[in-house]
Amino acid sequence: MSGDAEFVRRVRAGDQAAYAVLVARYRARLGRYAVHMLGDRDDAEEALQDAFVRAYRSIARCRDDAKFGAWLFGILVNRCRTAGRRASRRQRMFVRDDASLARAAAAEPPEAPDWDVSIRRALDRLAPALREAFLLKHVEELEYEAMAELTGAKVSALKMRVLRAREQLRALLSEVERV
Amino acid sequence: MFEHDDDTLNRMIDRLREPVEMDPRLDARVMTRVASPGFGARAAGAWEWLRRPRAVVISPITGLGLAAAIALLVWFLPIRAPARGESMASDVTPVQFVVVAPGAESVSLVGDFNDWDARLTPMRAVRDGRLWTVTIPLAAGRHRYAFLVNGARWLADPSAPRAQDDFGSPSSVVTVGG
Repeated sequence: MSGDAEFVRRVRAGDQAAYAVLVARYRARLGRYAVHMLGDRDDAEEALQDAFVRAYRSIARCRDDAKFGAWLFGILVNRCRTAGRRASRRQRMFVRDDASLARAAAAEPPEAPDWDVSIRRALDRLAPALREAFLLKHVEELEYEAMAELTGAKVSALKMRVLRAREQLRALLSEVERV
Repeated sequence: MFEHDDDTLNRMIDRLREPVEMDPRLDARVMTRVASPGFGARAAGAWEWLRRPRAVVISPITGLGLAAAIALLVWFLPIRAPARGESMASDVTPVQFVVVAPGAESVSLVGDFNDWDARLTPMRAVRDGRLWTVTIPLAAGRHRYAFLVNGARWLADPSAPRAQDDFGSPSSVVTVGG
């Protein structure tokens, strides 16, 4: 983003207030990715906060000050992967609890899902690697080369993931519309 | 059929692109953690330990690596070896890191043990400034690290396994104990 380099230089020189500008500048965009990737606002805020703190402490590792935003995004992508794995383990624990809860409350009819809930459920059913590729391509509107740099995956693999994500989402959303 | 499905998918994408409000208090939480003195205090303790005078023993592995580096006329060749001779608390082991960096003005050791903070573990120049070294206590386990030359040049250790990390720059792995 324009002007990042100056703030990054100031942070390196010890100006903490300059980092607050960068945090405010990137909070919304990175937050959107984290929320959609993790599907849980608390997890997303934790991942985002962690990414900002790690980026600050490692700012010497940002090799191009003008590309601070892309570098920070890369850290967040990795934080989301870690948080996603953690959440996945947590969900597996909850599944067992939910099963007994479901048996206990079987008489309650399910609520009709609205559009946002349908989107969330569809995203949740994608494998994390497909969800990540889909969000980076279609929501964050990154070029494949930039995605490859962020994720460490090859362009050909990313194209395949996006294609498969689109196919699966089409199927999942059409199921919702038929309900 | 497919056009209808694409319409639905595009509608989903449009919805996902809409701004997501994040808690603005997140900024304050980040800045509080950034300004937290806790990490600095731990680092100061480590720095005091580092400043204590001690004999530096260059292991055969380090010597061999240094010779190879000079022979190959490589400007920057990092080497890592465990230090010998000094015992510490039972749960940490002193590990000596050595890097050949002739002409460097500063070299820092950065890793997950110091939160990748280049200010916390500066290396000391020896042998007419060709060799930079530091010995730090490391707990048993796997640690990722790299060398930062002149505050800008990032070097992994070619003699150690490579690590993948969050930051997109190369780093190495040292395993202590086990």
